[in-house]
Amino acid sequence: MSELRRDPITGRWNIINTDEPSGPKDFHLEPFTPSAAACPFCPGNERLTPAEIYALRPSVSAANGSDWSLRVIPNKFPALRIEGELGLRGLGLFDLSNGIGAHEVIIETPDHRRQMADLTLPELEQTLGVFRARSLDLRGDRRLKYTLIFKNFGRDAGASLEHSHSQLIALPIIPKRVMEELKGAARYAEFRGRCPYCDMLHQELEEDERLVAENKGFLAFCPFVSSFPFETWILPRAHHSDFAAITQEGLGDLARILKDVLLRLRHGLSDPPYNFILHTAPIEPQPREEYHWHIELTPKLTQVAGFEWGTGFYINPTPPELAAKVLREVAI
Amino acid sequence: MPELRKDPLIGRWVIISTERAKRPIDFVMSTPSSETQNTCPFCEGHEAETQPEIFAIRSTATPNGPGWSVRVIPNINPILRIEGELTRRAKGMFDVMQGIGAHELLIETPQHLGNLADLSVEQVQHVLQAAVHRIQDLERDPRFRYVLWFKNYGDIAGSSRIAHARSQLIATPVTPKRVKEELVVARRYFEDKERCLTCDVLSQEQQLKDRVVLDSSFVTVLCPFASRFPFELCILPKRHACDFASLQPEELADLAAAMQQVFARLKRVLGDPSYNFVLHTAPFRRHRAKVGYWKTIEDDYHWHLECIPRLTRMAGFEWGSGFYINPTPPEEAAHYLREE
Repeated sequence: MSELRRDPITGRWNIINTDEPSGPKDFHLEPFTPSAAACPFCPGNERLTPAEIYALRPSVSAANGSDWSLRVIPNKFPALRIEGELGLRGLGLFDLSNGIGAHEVIIETPDHRRQMADLTLPELEQTLGVFRARSLDLRGDRRLKYTLIFKNFGRDAGASLEHSHSQLIALPIIPKRVMEELKGAARYAEFRGRCPYCDMLHQELEEDERLVAENKGFLAFCPFVSSFPFETWILPRAHHSDFAAITQEGLGDLARILKDVLLRLRHGLSDPPYNFILHTAPIEPQPREEYHWHIELTPKLTQVAGFEWGTGFYINPTPPELAAKVLREVAI
Repeated sequence: MPELRKDPLIGRWVIISTERAKRPIDFVMSTPSSETQNTCPFCEGHEAETQPEIFAIRSTATPNGPGWSVRVIPNINPILRIEGELTRRAKGMFDVMQGIGAHELLIETPQHLGNLADLSVEQVQHVLQAAVHRIQDLERDPRFRYVLWFKNYGDIAGSSRIAHARSQLIATPVTPKRVKEELVVARRYFEDKERCLTCDVLSQEQQLKDRVVLDSSFVTVLCPFASRFPFELCILPKRHACDFASLQPEELADLAAAMQQVFARLKRVLGDPSYNFVLHTAPFRRHRAKVGYWKTIEDDYHWHLECIPRLTRMAGFEWGSGFYINPTPPEEAAHYLREE
């Protein structure tokens, strides 16, 4: 018998196949093959990208030169533009505005052959530190309400270039998924007087069925209501709504658990495509006390079909208890 | 300048990137799969290879033999099971219930054809009749609140290896989230204006005309203002009705002709893309007494079919934000689908 499970925050129901669960061998994956063409993210090819916004390089080295360890550039094909007014307006029944926002690419390493999972701990900590720095910098722009940081790894997860990179999109609105989470968390907190993510953290530690890894600052687990097979969350133990408030020590802990989880996904599932999404509070003067920032990692192992689109009701063939067990047992 | 557009039905914003507009030629197509009539269990003459039929439109009286036009069978690997009790319960902070439901396959033709676009209008009419019949029948099971009728065509849309045209029906014990969102917005609009939001959208689109793909006596097909995906389509009945199963015979014939036309155009314009279609209709209304929001459902909700060609990949941004980046403005998409 499969189970229907409901996410207490967004109210979404998922179907979990607990009967004939799919293990890692049930998914067929094509390896991500390197391309021979010139990579615009490799050192020496800086002229192929827009001028950099930010870079980590020796102090003597000039901007847009080839001597760097991390680079942030505007997306060459931005979904949103930074210049102009928002121009919110109506069109008959409809609402529209100009596509104002920021769209940046964070090139995590000069080395084309290394992915995020291959970065050393100091390099990964540095990358996460740049996520923080860029988030803080964009807060000065009053038109922006939300900063989404994410990574698409592998073609099936939406990556168009192989060279390891993450993206940042700053938006003039709070996106729907985030709004649902915020509202769901607020509803839960109003009813119970507690943060739902803190409750989840305690339940995961207590039941000890879905844990993947833990360290001083963080817990990694496959959530009880996983939408996708092998979906894994990284949740800070300390309650905080805003990722950008993370301390340097926190960045170190996060780098360690992130690398650990990425290696488990790689070895447990033969280097699957995945999405990395940082869920954090909107840019607002008042903090959202009820929200708890976290990272969601979703390997792309199944095709989303008509049923999921039409209903917002996901069918997950791998129970999170099994996914966590597989990931826990990976030797890394 | 790209635009942000808000869907008035569920409050979702979409980025329409007018400058990076993608045309049909910009999308890479998938190749169709290749099993033949001899090995396909859904072809006429192979009835013994499937589960016994639940329903069929046939010229012969014997079930599970040849002589049919459409056939409905249980899915051999159902995602929900028909037997058992729901047993709603809590697990710590979470809600759980058993995966009870029905999962049926509607085989849309006895011939080995894959795309709805290749069927005759009469055949599509039979498909619609079968869907209406199954939805009405499943409504009688008090455990169910909703029946979803949908189709996955092509590899990218999530169809499995057999290419034979079919759609699926899934009866669920909960009203799905997407549908609930639509219901809430429709009711709120109605409370305010005492009009149906979709009827208002329809009349505005008919005046503006730039997003209308096809207009028949009973249905309007349009590319929605805040389309999430390139070449996304919405098929809307002109007569206000909350329930797809209330279709009259002449309306059903007209809808069949419009659907066949639209899928044929998608095939020609985009080179046989993978696609999904999903029916959005009112939930079963016997729980009316318990749930306040069904008080005005017959006046405020308007059933429709959503059709999504699968031309782009969903990436982290879309998953994380529920905010879609659509490279083809719906006006352009409608233009291509109109003029051909």
